[in-house]
Amino acid sequence: MADAKDLMARYCDGDASAFRELYALVAPRLLGYLAKMTRHPARADDLLQQTFLKVHRARGAYVRGADPLPWIYAIAHRTFLDDARADRRAIVKVGAGDELPEQRADLTGEAAGTRDEPRADPELVQATLDALAALPAPQREAVVLTKLDGKSVAEAAEIAGTTTGAMKVRAHRGYEALRRLLGGKRGAAPEAAAKQRTGGAP
Amino acid sequence: MTRERDLDVDAALEAVAGAPPPAPPLLSPELEASLSDLAATPMRRPRRQLAVLAAVSLVYGAGLLWVLATRRDLDELPMGWLVATALGWLLGFLVPSYLALAPRPGAVSPRWQLAAIAAVVASVGFVALGLAIHPMGPSSWHYGLERFGHGHTCLEIGLAAAVVPVVIGAIFLRGALPVGARWVAAALGAGGGCLGGLVLHLHCGVADGLHVGLVHGGVVVAAAALSAAIVPRTTDGRALSSRA
Repeated sequence: MADAKDLMARYCDGDASAFRELYALVAPRLLGYLAKMTRHPARADDLLQQTFLKVHRARGAYVRGADPLPWIYAIAHRTFLDDARADRRAIVKVGAGDELPEQRADLTGEAAGTRDEPRADPELVQATLDALAALPAPQREAVVLTKLDGKSVAEAAEIAGTTTGAMKVRAHRGYEALRRLLGGKRGAAPEAAAKQRTGGAP
Repeated sequence: MTRERDLDVDAALEAVAGAPPPAPPLLSPELEASLSDLAATPMRRPRRQLAVLAAVSLVYGAGLLWVLATRRDLDELPMGWLVATALGWLLGFLVPSYLALAPRPGAVSPRWQLAAIAAVVASVGFVALGLAIHPMGPSSWHYGLERFGHGHTCLEIGLAAAVVPVVIGAIFLRGALPVGARWVAAALGAGGGCLGGLVLHLHCGVADGLHVGLVHGGVVVAAAALSAAIVPRTTDGRALSSRA
């Protein structure tokens, strides 16, 4: 598959199929980021569409040869913030005892029967997502970008429009808060984590 | 215990990160419609944009100076000082403009942090240099603070000179600034303000420290602040605004 730079350049040159390829390449990762930020799959879908619409409108700002991913992520970040400001309900917090939203099962985006790879422990994933949702948005974003999406601190800072120092602090505080939240549960999460580490062996 | 919890968090994050990414939805009808008649769009060329911005702005500044006339004491001033100060203003125009327009190699968006530093340094620097370098005498308060309200002409001329680079920069940066837009706009304004300072340097004969510092230098501060307040709304346009 072509890389994002080539696809973006071809797309700007008027090749619609390049946009579709770019969407196929970037959208899953971006949707994962937005889903973790909003904790609401339908809203994440909507923000993803808005993000790509903005990318489409702003494609003339692209510089040939540049990596479009940080720019697209920054647009998604901005779209999320605008949406969260417009509607505080954008962040759905699910408490430990709450019933899970139905869409939660769609977070992976695939029907269970279609997956080949082994799934992560759903209990642990759920507990972690709950803990993530409890973090303030800047810390959550820092953890999602640096610990889950594999971005460097500099890349994450570029996406969030902050300094690397501030991003480092946010990521650290987010990590510490996550540790407190997961450790404080003393129930499902640590047990599930232990199970995950031992591969489920007794 | 801490070690145990560290492992818990790492394992938990690993579990979430290892989950397969969600399947994105189909493209929206609006995007599909846009793709059906997709035409080639010229991409941003920052260096060319900087060259255009600098050339047009300098020609405009020269035109402004031609209309306003140069200062009467131009021939009597030491050439070295005149040129060095003009170069200082020119540098103040070019450096923030460059940082506002040009991203680092391989990036789409300009370096807003460097642009922010440039905006602050230019704003503070030209006020401080104006106050420090130019002499102050008994009439300083007259030309400086007391005439600040009456001597608004220099401020207006300076801001008029700043308008063109700021507008050109704002047009060039549409859609390029999802984050850091305010600082980049401030850098554009500071650059434009320095162009105004250059025009004033060659037009205004008042060499008093307070006037040059607070009014000529003040043009840089005012242009940066106004640009930071106004330009981000225009650079967003329909492209990045969620209100579009």
